[in-house]
Amino acid sequence: MKHEPVRPEVPRCSVCAVPAVTFQRQSGRHLCSTHATADICDRVAITIQEVAMIVPGDRVAVALSGGKDSTALLMLLSRLIPSWEGVSLVAITIDEGIAGYRDETVRSAENLIRSLGVEHHCISFVDLFGAPLDEFLRGREKEACSICGILRKKALIVGADRAGATKLATGHNLDDEAQSVLMNVLRGDLSRLVRNSGTDSSGRFIPRIKPLKKISEKEIATYLLLNNAWTDLPECPYSRYALRREVRSLLSTLEYRHPGTMLHLLESKKKIETYCAGTITPEPIRHCRVCGDPCSGELCQLCQLKRSLGR
Amino acid sequence: MKLILPDRSTRVLDLPPAALEAILLGEDINPLEVIASRNGVLITEDTVIEINDEIRLLRIAHGG
Repeated sequence: MKHEPVRPEVPRCSVCAVPAVTFQRQSGRHLCSTHATADICDRVAITIQEVAMIVPGDRVAVALSGGKDSTALLMLLSRLIPSWEGVSLVAITIDEGIAGYRDETVRSAENLIRSLGVEHHCISFVDLFGAPLDEFLRGREKEACSICGILRKKALIVGADRAGATKLATGHNLDDEAQSVLMNVLRGDLSRLVRNSGTDSSGRFIPRIKPLKKISEKEIATYLLLNNAWTDLPECPYSRYALRREVRSLLSTLEYRHPGTMLHLLESKKKIETYCAGTITPEPIRHCRVCGDPCSGELCQLCQLKRSLGR
Repeated sequence: MKLILPDRSTRVLDLPPAALEAILLGEDINPLEVIASRNGVLITEDTVIEINDEIRLLRIAHGG
């Protein structure tokens, strides 16, 4: 970003008194470009370290869509990880095949990879499932997010496996996490609410980690703008069908009126997990009778989906 | 003052100097959903916007 002539009325950084570029509503702190960037980096490091998300010997695969969250995640991890002994980084991009949307974000991902020099694996739905997402969704657009979610989950597992990863890092931010908590409550899905994909893997899945889960969407966008990495990308054409869109708008209004709402939702989830510990019997892990992947029923979600799509 | 909205359309507002937050609320924009810059520099919601300022807004949410 540029520097404009300093105006006397501009709010100042609470740390160093140079003009502020961001205001943290909960803490009441103003931060300049340097301290806003450092603050995000420090908070991500704390989020990782407080629950040992990444440990020595880990090979961390970042799910890099090329959108803002995964871009920020890769930039932050490529800053932090070199100082952690025995930890390596790799990026995985899934090309779902969404016309007019994914090409641009995949290009953005490739540019980032070139600038950071990180190992990169790209997997497409066409290679893995024989068709692009657009084809799977014909006439089923309202189910877009669930269908895409099932296919993308499988593609990421394959990608992480091929890359020899021990952890799969996704760019879910505070807004995403709070939205998921509220959506699970609205759907009455308690088992999903208390499920923790970071620790419930029991050695059967590559554990997922979310290092940005305490960083808001606005802070991530600010971080990218301050580090010249912001790209104004198109919105996924299928997002208009999602419940998440309505929940996002509702929560954003609540967060504005009552700062801390999103963080409180995350804390509530943690408390519910504690209260429920040992009281909910986890579904036994079985193996899909078609593909052999671990799942909870006779067929895994992917094979159920393939069947419903007549594939 | 002039507001350049995320879709690149503009709104010219005939208002006395005011905090950016108040201006955004007056335009029915949630300050948490946009980032504002003045002359290419990011500004905070409590920055006072002067009569001749031009403010550019970026939408931060991208579904997908």
